[in-house]
Amino acid sequence: MYGSEFDGSAAFSGGGFMPSQATQAPDPSFSTSKNRDSQSLLPLTVKQINEALLTSDDKSNFSIDGVDVNNVTLVGRVCNRTGRVTDVTFLLDDGTGKIECNKWVQEFVDSNEVEGILEGMYVRIHGHLKGFLGKRSLNVFSIRPITDFNEIASHFIDCIYVHLYNSRLRKLQGVGVTTQPQMPNSSGTPMMGHQATSVNQLSSQYGNVGGQKNIEQMVLDFLQLPASNADEKGVHRDFIAQQLRVSVDKLMLAIQNLVEEGLIYSTTDDFHFKSTING
Amino acid sequence: MDTSNPSVFVNAELLRLYVGRRVRAVIQVLRSDGGVVTGKSTDENQIIVKGSPPVPLSNFVEVIGIADTEKSIRAEIWSNFGNTFDTHTYNQLCQLANGEFKHLFL
Repeated sequence: MYGSEFDGSAAFSGGGFMPSQATQAPDPSFSTSKNRDSQSLLPLTVKQINEALLTSDDKSNFSIDGVDVNNVTLVGRVCNRTGRVTDVTFLLDDGTGKIECNKWVQEFVDSNEVEGILEGMYVRIHGHLKGFLGKRSLNVFSIRPITDFNEIASHFIDCIYVHLYNSRLRKLQGVGVTTQPQMPNSSGTPMMGHQATSVNQLSSQYGNVGGQKNIEQMVLDFLQLPASNADEKGVHRDFIAQQLRVSVDKLMLAIQNLVEEGLIYSTTDDFHFKSTING
Repeated sequence: MDTSNPSVFVNAELLRLYVGRRVRAVIQVLRSDGGVVTGKSTDENQIIVKGSPPVPLSNFVEVIGIADTEKSIRAEIWSNFGNTFDTHTYNQLCQLANGEFKHLFL
């Protein structure tokens, strides 16, 4: 299917079931970070939003500490609340400044949510930062009253931490390349480390392993290799047996267990198998 | 979008630096006599808050208003913060917000 151009990291980077860091493990230079960072939720103060830079290429994009800002979370008091049939607007005052917020009321749950929001109340909001004609405002997804007031201090400490992380730690990591992406390998979770294993390593490694209990793991690892996923039909059991140097009987026991666990499945017939993880 | 009138996180010690400015502080209420509330700031020192406190007043209260002297705040907004509150963390935040990370707040 994918031929010789098959690129494991690219193929898996969008997979819903893959742990996010694992996609970075095999190739530190491969960067999913841009995509992921732009989707991340930033805790911010209004002051930070006020000072956010407009990125030049697109007038609706903001950047804070070198990170694209889209979704944000803020904590503050509700002022100047105006409710209408279709939407609710208010100013959020977090003590560092005030920002206009708008929440569209489309469904019953929305109107329930906004009716509980009263003037002067402390709230946590999640929303999307947008800029229009030089004015910055928040398109609110969720608004929730604060009941434990320690959340206020906690939010601002979050802001400080994320600012520190984005402005300093990230740069340090950029120079020394990837402290974080290497973590999954050292964690030793079999699911996470598999992509780093090449076929060559695999056969020598498996030559030394004995005993029924490891066969399942071997089969799983083998089926999760990019090469095993290249064919939609999966891999024939005889080929697995041959590669892993185990008898077909022992192999089928392991395969049966893995199928019951939902980790692999048979494809076009009862002899071809694929890992559920890489779809 | 308006950041011209922020309210600074303060404890009793930091309050002295902001006389005439808008501040916010959390106090543990010790006494309440009419319009004057005496409270313990998050750094354990006493401050006086004037204004119209809500009834009832919970153990911990956040006040936002103008620092009118080095030891008192003329409060405009009172928020009951309940009967338990992590004053230590809040106090640390006061220090961070007035120190190394002041630019995120002011």
